[in-house]
Amino acid sequence: MVLSTAGRITRAGRNAVLAAAAAAIAIPVVWMALASLKNETDLFSNPTSLPRAFELANYTSLFTQFHFAVATWNSIVISLGVVVISVTLGGLAAYGFSRYDFRGSRVLLAGLLITRMITPAALVVPLYLIMSALGLLNNVFSIIIGVAVLNLPFVVWVLKPFFDALPREIEEAGMLDGLTPFGVFWRIAVPLAGPGLLSVALLSFIAGWTDLLFPISFSSTPDAMPLTSALLQMQTGYKIYWGALMAGGVYLTVPTLILSFALQKYLVRGMRLGY
Amino acid sequence: MDGALTSGQKARGSRGRGPALTTPADWNRRIQLTGLGLTLPALAFAFAFMVYPVASLVLLSFQDYSPLRSTTATNAGLSNYAWVAGSDLVHKSIWVTLVFTVVSVGIEMAVGLALATLLAKLVVESRRLFSLALSRVLNSFFILPFATPAIAGALAWKMLLHPQFGPVDAILHGDIAWFAQYPLASVIVADAWKTIPFVLFLVFAAILSIEPDMYEAARLDGANAWQEFRYLTLPMILPVLAVTAAFRAVDAFTKIFDIVFVTTGGGPGTDTQVFPLLIWRTAFDYLHFGQAAALAVVAVLISAVLGASLLAVRRTAST
Repeated sequence: MVLSTAGRITRAGRNAVLAAAAAAIAIPVVWMALASLKNETDLFSNPTSLPRAFELANYTSLFTQFHFAVATWNSIVISLGVVVISVTLGGLAAYGFSRYDFRGSRVLLAGLLITRMITPAALVVPLYLIMSALGLLNNVFSIIIGVAVLNLPFVVWVLKPFFDALPREIEEAGMLDGLTPFGVFWRIAVPLAGPGLLSVALLSFIAGWTDLLFPISFSSTPDAMPLTSALLQMQTGYKIYWGALMAGGVYLTVPTLILSFALQKYLVRGMRLGY
Repeated sequence: MDGALTSGQKARGSRGRGPALTTPADWNRRIQLTGLGLTLPALAFAFAFMVYPVASLVLLSFQDYSPLRSTTATNAGLSNYAWVAGSDLVHKSIWVTLVFTVVSVGIEMAVGLALATLLAKLVVESRRLFSLALSRVLNSFFILPFATPAIAGALAWKMLLHPQFGPVDAILHGDIAWFAQYPLASVIVADAWKTIPFVLFLVFAAILSIEPDMYEAARLDGANAWQEFRYLTLPMILPVLAVTAAFRAVDAFTKIFDIVFVTTGGGPGTDTQVFPLLIWRTAFDYLHFGQAAALAVVAVLISAVLGASLLAVRRTAST
């Protein structure tokens, strides 16, 4: 395409605006990372300076002072637990709703989808009493259940249209070959829906990894705290260790960042289907 | 032919074709049972940990109950609802949440739409290697806030806006305690930052799905960039904009918690005590589970109304 000078200027202006916006959007995270590498003196006396020597002291203090080893383990267990429960139950249900028009299925589907709008803080109140009765407080299971039940409607919401779009002919052929309905689901529909399942698995993992509400409500002992509430605990002391706090923020962010970048395509698709 | 998988009615029509080893009635029963069997685990889970708790919430809202102080709940009649209706704390919280929702969603939509429009223009010419590379890099930047956990983003903003050692005040040579002096505005900025990518990517996808021929036609008619946006892009993506805004508004109103909890904790005073935070504090800080339940019932009703209208918007927009 041949461009006039004016066209070229507009294009340069547009690119400049986009680049400036991208830089501005990155500032908070970049700043957090820079601050996490500064020592105390630099942090407090030279707010705008770059880190002089890249100090990892803030990061090591996370493990020596703030229980981050056990919190990391808890966060992993919670996130994987949420993925397993919500993708398994949600995947089966989405397939069921997509393929079998049984009596009452539309009402049940609408009911399930509308629970997506629930205020999490409203659910946490009675759920706290239930978990207390079940003896699951200060146990990662209560957190897994809480996050998973809020995540489940979202998974069905995303996956049902995904299954709807798969060609039925292959599944029918499988039926004729003598597969059971579950066999058709497991051997035919699941592999075909792979990208959709990956999207929801990714977003479910992030939901578990980043949740704050259930941990602060259900667990008060360091043994049962994931990274989010462990990070929050660091703010409650007499002195706030800002360097360590920023390091903790970076530590919490890195896994979701890596996953998001590596699986950007699936993430954006999940975002798009999930509304 | 999808008879075998959809409904008994169609299966009946297909009698005599294919390996008809079962009667239509058997087919129908099998479909009913399989459908129920596949969905039952999820429904049972949702019933146990969503429907039942919400039902017990209604019961709890008519009681006086402080689990850490006493093990018994006493009948409170309508007193919790009377408190909700009459309390300035509650009214203020709803007002704050409403202001937060409107302003935050407004900013997200405006910035998200502007950036998506520019980004789409860039991608359309991505036959050029430079544009392609640039759009890839920009995408990675734009996804950053979405990929950052809300609590980490909130901490980052708290640091940025810190009166003593935040870079913003250092650059402005001021000592404004942003989260204390302009609490709601600061919270809104942090929330908008976190959610702009969501709007951006949805709108971006909508713009890219417009037929390139239409832009070609507009150009041949001599439309300038603004006219192109105003009379072509905007009308075409209006349904997506409506659904996105509605979705964001419902989410902002019902789910705002982490960012406020971490940055202002609802303060100063109750200036940023958004509704979800008020429910949580009433239960877990003040230990009035009965009052918290009444608030939660109100929240669930608001969610149900918003959710139903959202489904309606979605249906209207997609037709």
